[in-house]
Amino acid sequence: MEQNNEMTAQQSLQVITETFNKSRKGILRNSAKYFMLWGALLTVTSLVIYLLWHFTGMPQWNFLWFAMPVIGYPAAALMGKYDVDVPQNEVSKMLSGVWRVFGTFAITLSAIAICLVPMNVSLIIVIIMGLAECMSGVLLKNWPIIICGFLLGVCGAIVAMLVKSEAQLLIFTLGGVLLLVTGCIMKLQNK
Amino acid sequence: MFPKLDPLLHSELRLAVMSILAGVDEADFTYLKKQTGATSGNLSVQIDKLAAAGYITVEKGFKGKMPRTACKITPAGLEAFRGYVEALKEYLSASN
Repeated sequence: MEQNNEMTAQQSLQVITETFNKSRKGILRNSAKYFMLWGALLTVTSLVIYLLWHFTGMPQWNFLWFAMPVIGYPAAALMGKYDVDVPQNEVSKMLSGVWRVFGTFAITLSAIAICLVPMNVSLIIVIIMGLAECMSGVLLKNWPIIICGFLLGVCGAIVAMLVKSEAQLLIFTLGGVLLLVTGCIMKLQNK
Repeated sequence: MFPKLDPLLHSELRLAVMSILAGVDEADFTYLKKQTGATSGNLSVQIDKLAAAGYITVEKGFKGKMPRTACKITPAGLEAFRGYVEALKEYLSASN
């Protein structure tokens, strides 16, 4: 793009629209990789814990959940180091905020359930996860993500109430896959 | 009588820079260069013009060990950009 001071009104509008959209798409495409990272991590962690619990009969394997933020946050920070030149827009900031709030709730409630007040953590986490996914869909104006988030929250809550022990973990495997799919949709939508 | 288009914004590269900055908190020089496809020299000159008019602020610093030039739109710049878009709308509605 070089200097052109002889633009018509249509050309000016085209420059504004094209540049703004190109920038917005680049930012959202960049955010997609974080969805994919956490999605992959959640899928793998839940499956590993499920299998270990299933074959050893020891629910103590659930402590491995705390490995997820230990691996995820440094990995996300490392990925962030390579996008020094990608700015944040309102949507990417809100998406990041929604999932940070989800992470804070999930870790705090899990810790409380282990140390202070026993509760059905799977039920609570799957509901707030569905809510966070739904909110992401609203921010991205994407109906499939909204519907998937809603189904994850509602169906996940029913499954968490009906299914006992390690089988509950498979809800989170589904949640992880859903995050991966969200990341892929964001990437494809913003090509 | 149509409003006069801001001559500072009525330039392809400066308008592209302002369009990017209007949608983000702040943007790096390298990001602006990548998005606009402009040469470093040309982009630098146009950024200086926008900064001199008070439309953007330019902050030079470091991120880690790498030098970084961050550009941010000012309230005056945002107002000028809005005014430019409004003026464009009037031109376009008159021509339709």
